[in-house]
Amino acid sequence: MFQNRAEAFALVLPAAIFAGAVFLVPVVILLSEGFRSGDSWTIQAYIDFFSQSLNQAVFLRTLKLAAMVTAAAAVIGYAAAFAIVNLPPKGKGRITGLVVLPLMISPVARTYAWIVILGRTGIVNQALVSVGLSDEPIRFLFTETAVFIGLLQLFLPLMIISLISALENMPRDAVPAARVLGANWLQVFTKVILPLTKEGLVIGGTLVFTGSMTAYITPAILGGSKVLMLETLLYQRVTMANDFVSASVIALILIVMAFAANLLLKRLATARNKR
Amino acid sequence: MRNKLYAPIILLLVLAFLIGPFIIIIAASLSAGETLSFPPQGLSLRWVIKVFEVESFRASFGISMFLAIGGTLAALILGIPASYALSRYKVPGAETIRTIVSSPIIVPGIIVGLALLRYFVVPFNFGILLALFLAHTALILPYAVRVVSASLNNLRSDIEEAAVLLGCSRTGAFFRVVMPNIRGGILAAFILGFVTSFNQVPVSLFLSGPGVRTLPIDMLSYMEITYDPSVAALSALLAFMSLGIVFLAERFLGFSRYV
Repeated sequence: MFQNRAEAFALVLPAAIFAGAVFLVPVVILLSEGFRSGDSWTIQAYIDFFSQSLNQAVFLRTLKLAAMVTAAAAVIGYAAAFAIVNLPPKGKGRITGLVVLPLMISPVARTYAWIVILGRTGIVNQALVSVGLSDEPIRFLFTETAVFIGLLQLFLPLMIISLISALENMPRDAVPAARVLGANWLQVFTKVILPLTKEGLVIGGTLVFTGSMTAYITPAILGGSKVLMLETLLYQRVTMANDFVSASVIALILIVMAFAANLLLKRLATARNKR
Repeated sequence: MRNKLYAPIILLLVLAFLIGPFIIIIAASLSAGETLSFPPQGLSLRWVIKVFEVESFRASFGISMFLAIGGTLAALILGIPASYALSRYKVPGAETIRTIVSSPIIVPGIIVGLALLRYFVVPFNFGILLALFLAHTALILPYAVRVVSASLNNLRSDIEEAAVLLGCSRTGAFFRVVMPNIRGGILAAFILGFVTSFNQVPVSLFLSGPGVRTLPIDMLSYMEITYDPSVAALSALLAFMSLGIVFLAERFLGFSRYV
């Protein structure tokens, strides 16, 4: 450890000042706009925002979709992670690589693929019509289902990786021991696996939930103006109505959610380091 | 018996869900037909070639490249000294500084973009490109600090103290002893920053003007007006580009150690 304060500041200040000026100050000013009315401070904008039924619907839909995506990712994540950790080492590395791979690819490309799949002339509709399950193409695009599927594909890898590392840290004999003692698979999961991997589930869940809450591309492409979420609503308010007050309100909602999730993650990480 | 079957079936389904869409998009981009469809109507490379002919794609690709490379370099120039100070010096308020520097990763990008547009670009008459550059640099900074800090923490600090004791200046010790040892981490931070910036949409959403647009934003607006397979072809090309970078990084660097 070096003690020289002047040197330390000279090294660290450019980055801190840059982040502060380019990022922190403008964002704080933006957030303060939601509390200004003329010269006085007020929460009127928040009351107005939540009194409109469209805004309420968008807010609730965002929470609902994020919760549904998180729940689905947890269920699929456990099944996949459990299968992956029981693979031989070589296969484990490869399959984990394949799971992580999509994270490096442009989300625009990843979401665009669903248009080909779910569109009017997409694969799903072709299959449905040719098998005779449906007389005419069903509309999937611009529905909550489409947004749900797109978000799940985008964020599932984060949940799987978190659960893989949680399952790997679990004592090896816990599951066989419970089986020998007569527990059925449901009991093994709820009484053994779940408590031992709770942290991994919370970390993965937080990443998926905040990711889905603050997603822009997926609701924009697969939901359009029919299935608005908070970010697409923000974009629409600004570009269509120059409504910076609503934008500021939505921004604060998103930031509060994101920071709360981050705080939770940090707390979990330090709790784990102490142990 | 039942357990033996369970794993492959689950993995097959999950991988089909995660990777299948790319295979479909690659196939759709090889179509000879006029509209986006799968299975493709005949095979041809016409849409792949078309991608290179669209003027706006070429321009926005250049801008995205400039932002990804320039922004990452700027973030490293700011981030390496900061990481060094945070790991080797007693910095008063280190936690606060760490939070400030890493906050752009937490706050949704769309808000950063809007705030910059409203309080930098409009009142001070900033150029859009400059604002984009600043925004992307701020966005990459947390990744740069995190990855470089991790490799600094893995490096024993007594070798540089030894260098200083033996008469090397502090700066000299940094460039001759520390830098060569954290090269891998810096390269990893560069790749992570590049990919993050190149794929970034929300930050750039509000920061686009006449002739200045990043590639993902350009793709979004192109797909609103046309339904031909060129966006699919471009998506496939970009996917291959990311995969190529990650593959090379993993091969020569063991990239996953750093991230």
